[in-house]
Order: sequence, then structure tokens, then C-alpha cells
Amino acid sequence: VSLTVALSKGKLLAGTEALFRRVGLAFPEGEGRRLVVTAGSLRFLFVKDMDVPTYVEYGVADCGIAGRDVLLETGSDVYEPLDLGFGHCRLVVARRREASFAYESTSTIRVATKYPRVASNHFLARGVSAEVVRLAGSVEIAPGLGLADCIVDVVETGRTLEENGLTPVEDVAASSARLIVNRASFHARREEVGALLQALRSGVQQEGRNTQNSGSLSRRGAIRPNAATPSGSPPAPTRSDVSEG
Amino acid sequence: VKTPDRLVHVPPGVQCFVGNEARRRRLIEERVVAVFEGWDYEEIIPPLYDYAEVFAGPALSPKTYSFVGRDGSVLALRPDFTSLLAKVAAGRLRDRPTPIRLYYSGEVLRYEPPKAGRQSELHQMGLEHLGGGRSAADAEVLAIAAECLDRLGARSWVLAVGHVGVFTGLLAEAGLAPDDLETLRERVEGKDAGGVGEVLDRCGVAPEAARAVRRLTELQGDVGVLDEAARAFAFSPPASAAVRELQAVVGALQAAGLGDRVAVDLGEVRGLDYYTGLVFRAYASGLGFEVGGGGRYDSLLERFGRPLPAVGFMFGLDRLALLLERQGTLPASAAAPAEAVTGPLLGDALRQARARRAAGTRVRFGNGGER
Repeated sequence: VSLTVALSKGKLLAGTEALFRRVGLAFPEGEGRRLVVTAGSLRFLFVKDMDVPTYVEYGVADCGIAGRDVLLETGSDVYEPLDLGFGHCRLVVARRREASFAYESTSTIRVATKYPRVASNHFLARGVSAEVVRLAGSVEIAPGLGLADCIVDVVETGRTLEENGLTPVEDVAASSARLIVNRASFHARREEVGALLQALRSGVQQEGRNTQNSGSLSRRGAIRPNAATPSGSPPAPTRSDVSEG
Repeated sequence: VKTPDRLVHVPPGVQCFVGNEARRRRLIEERVVAVFEGWDYEEIIPPLYDYAEVFAGPALSPKTYSFVGRDGSVLALRPDFTSLLAKVAAGRLRDRPTPIRLYYSGEVLRYEPPKAGRQSELHQMGLEHLGGGRSAADAEVLAIAAECLDRLGARSWVLAVGHVGVFTGLLAEAGLAPDDLETLRERVEGKDAGGVGEVLDRCGVAPEAARAVRRLTELQGDVGVLDEAARAFAFSPPASAAVRELQAVVGALQAAGLGDRVAVDLGEVRGLDYYTGLVFRAYASGLGFEVGGGGRYDSLLERFGRPLPAVGFMFGLDRLALLLERQGTLPASAAAPAEAVTGPLLGDALRQARARRAAGTRVRFGNGGER
């Protein structure tokens, strides 16, 4: 086993598997509940999406795959040399459709979010004082129930927002899946890391060309890999713990 | 009665070392200091606190523990050594001819949440080379850092070397706002070519410079990278000058047998408000974060009234200890077993213990109850 790769069993798993298989890298088959799995020359760790950057920052994993949204939230000191071209979503401020809060007329905005750091930084930069209410999920219901004036959350299609009576009012950041690399591994294990990076880069470029030819798959976050999977069954991806926007 | 919490809890950010752990740290410190002495650096033991202004700087200020002295002046616990050494070099050692070579070993205090093997109280061992020829001084401190790692028995380590002048040189004419420059720097630092491209596009940086800056995210690897950089950045005199400077230093290290230990990384652009030239970080396999680093800071001394070019680096003792423990490369440091000395008469026993001590024996003095 050469390198250790941290992945989450969240919304990026399917796209990750598709990418690995496309470039001929081994990927764990349906491994059930095992969280550390070796496949081919790689060791995979399956951890919570918000924890992926931590494992990589500390060097427990040499590489990982994490959304830019998660990287913004954790602020981890890692290299992110490759945009993998899937898992596209946006981090937005959203409020109830019928509500009419304006920054000018609100002394303190209460914001519910799974991204407290992103939310704080966003409102700090806007010169707005915000009370950040940290939630672990189902953030979309907070404004309707009076827990918060607005939310900061990821959206892909906007459907979840809409179904919960919310509308985006401000973009915070765009996100997509990134390959992240530990700083020490990047330099001290240059050849192995470089080879993996090169392989994945070629897979991303290849997919980019396919997408150009066959319409826009790329904006869809979780591409189910079944069709694109040459062999083996995909490890049943657990339903994302990150809400579909 | 329950012991009050505050008499039990350890405040976050500080540590306590006992026995072998402390001995191991002392051993590491001794070895590193011996290398510093071996290159003719002089020790300096600066004060634990000084006026807060001494440490003023966008990077350190928010991390400084400051307090108000009895006369109303604002003081700060030292968050680093370099500013203090610069102050002494420019003040008390004003008349001393250059180059001035100084080293230190001690604790600094930084207000940051404990993370990645770093506490609020950290022990740094480092040196500063003030004045003197730029390339010679740069090569010297890199060679010293390399020797320290060798003497400690560290394995598979590498010095990742860059030069902030490449980045600043390429953008010298772009006229970026400070905020944009910082965002760009941060994206280059993260090797995020896409993010770099976005900032460059948004700011309307000229295509030639934009292409070059984008390349900084991938120009890393062995020494050949510098030849590539020299060709790619020929259009920019300041960036070319920086590459040439780096070539001179890396070439010297190669000639001295350190070629395998150097990794060029032109995306290494931390601390632009501080560093002015060569920068480097020491990484080793087994520990996810750097064990040390440093670089050239030619504008700091001017603040203290004696403009001098300078280069320095430091190792974090905590991180070195962690690395060597992970790699299992630190020689066993357990103490020799002690010889028990005891007797019915306290005076006789004590005389005997003193005699054994005079012979250099480690003794455990027992009087009755003790084994």
C-alpha cells in the first residue's frame, strides 16, 4: 500500500468512484461497514465529509476528496491541486420567500447553518452582525419555524430550498469536489502523490471532453456511476448527510 | 471536599513534560544547539516580554498575548524571537560588524487554538543571519537546517524551497488591490490553479503575467523546475532575478551533496508581508505538517533603525519530538539505573552517597522508608 486516501460516504462518493474507475484505479467494492479498506495500491478511509480535510491536514491520509464548501468551513492547511469537475453546488444565503429582511434594517441577523465559519466570515465581511446558530442538518426548516432569519447552506438545484419556502438572496461561494493533498506528503512522497495526481487529472480532462460532446452532465452533483462503471458493483452510497439544495 | 476545578484542569494550550519526555526534548535541543554552535552562531537569551510594538505585524499581532504594564505601556509576551533579535542587533549590537550570527532556543506564546502539534506555548529553536552576502547566507542556513535534521536521525526529509520574489515579481506591474493580491497568494499557496485563474481573470491581469502566475501552482519538483521557470518567466526582469537567485542557492546545495534533499516549490508564498526572498519549509514523511522553516526578510531590520538584509529559520521542538517519535529514530534516552545508597546512620549514608556522586555514579539516596 502506498498512499492513504480519505473519502466521505456522502454526496461526492459516486463521482469519486466514477473518476477512479475511469482512470483504471482500484476502488473498494461494496465493503459494508468497514471504514478502512485497501484496494489496489491505495488505502481508503471513509470518514465524515467535514473530517476529510482534518485527516489530510494531519497527514493521517496523504490525499482526500472534499468539496470546496467543506474546505472553506474547515479552513484546513492543505494543497488543493485539482478541481475534479463534479459535485458542483453553491453556498448561498437564503431566506423565506415572503420575508423581507434587509441588512440595513436588521441590527443582528440570526443565521442557521452547518457552516458556522463560512457564515461568520461572510457576514463579518459585509459588516453585518450575525448570530450563528449551528445545526447538524435540516437547516432549511429553521427560518419557517422562527429559529433563524436566514440560512447559509449549499444548493445544487434549489429544489429543497423551494419546497421549504426559501429563496436564495446572496451567493457566498461556488463549490465543487477537490483533490486535496497533505503538504508533507506532497513534498516527501512526491513521486507517488504526483502519479496519483496525474492519473486523476487525466480522468478529469477525459470527462471534460466527454461532457462537451454529450451535453452537460457536469453540473449535476452526484452522478450515479452505474452506467459509467466498467466493472463491479458500486459500494451502496449512503444517502448524503449534506442536504440536496 | 472536592478539589476546586482550577486546581486540577490544565488550561488549553500549555503542556507539561515529565521524565523521559522532558529528557527527550532536552536531547533534541542539545543536538540542534550543537549544530548552531558548530556553524559559529552565538546564543542570545532575549526577554520573555517586550513592548507590544516590537512584535507589531499583521501576522503576529492578533496572536499576541498583550497586557498593560504598571506605567501604562502595552507589553506583550514574545510570540516569536526574530523581532527581538532584530531589535538587539539594531540597538545594542549596532556597532558590531556584519554578518551577525545569532541563535536562540526557548518558548514563545501565541494565542491560537491548539492544533496540528502546536500549542499556545511552543518551544522554538532557530537562528538569524543578519547582513552578509545574500546567496551565501541563504545557502548557509539551509545547510544548517539540513545538518540539524541529519544529526537528529530524521529520515526521508526534504526542504521545500521557494522564492516570494517570483510571485511578487510577476505581479509587480499588475497593480492588484491588497485584498486581491492576498486572495491570489492564498490560492497559489493552495496550488489551486482554477482558483488562481478566477482571481486573475476577475482582476484583468495581463495574459502573459496571468499565464505565468498560474504556472506557479505546478512548478515544483526537482532542480530542473528552475530551468523551466527561467525560460517561462524571462519576460519579467524581477521574477527572473528571483529565479536566478534561487538557482545560485540551490546549485550550491547540490554541489555540497544536498541535491536530493531539496525540493523546489515556486508556489511556496507564505508571509508576503514579511518574507522578501528565499523561503523554505522542512517536511518529513511521517508527520503531516512542517517541522520548521524560514526565509529571507530584508525589510524587518529597517523598522528597528538598522537596515540589514537577513535570513533565518526555526524548528518547532514539539514537532521535531513528534516526528522523531513517529519515525522511531530518536536514540533511547532513558536514564541509567540509579544505585541505592542507604545505611543505619544518616551521616554515614550521606557521606557514602557523596563519594559515589564524586565518582560520577547516579545514586538514589534512601533513608529508611524508601527502597
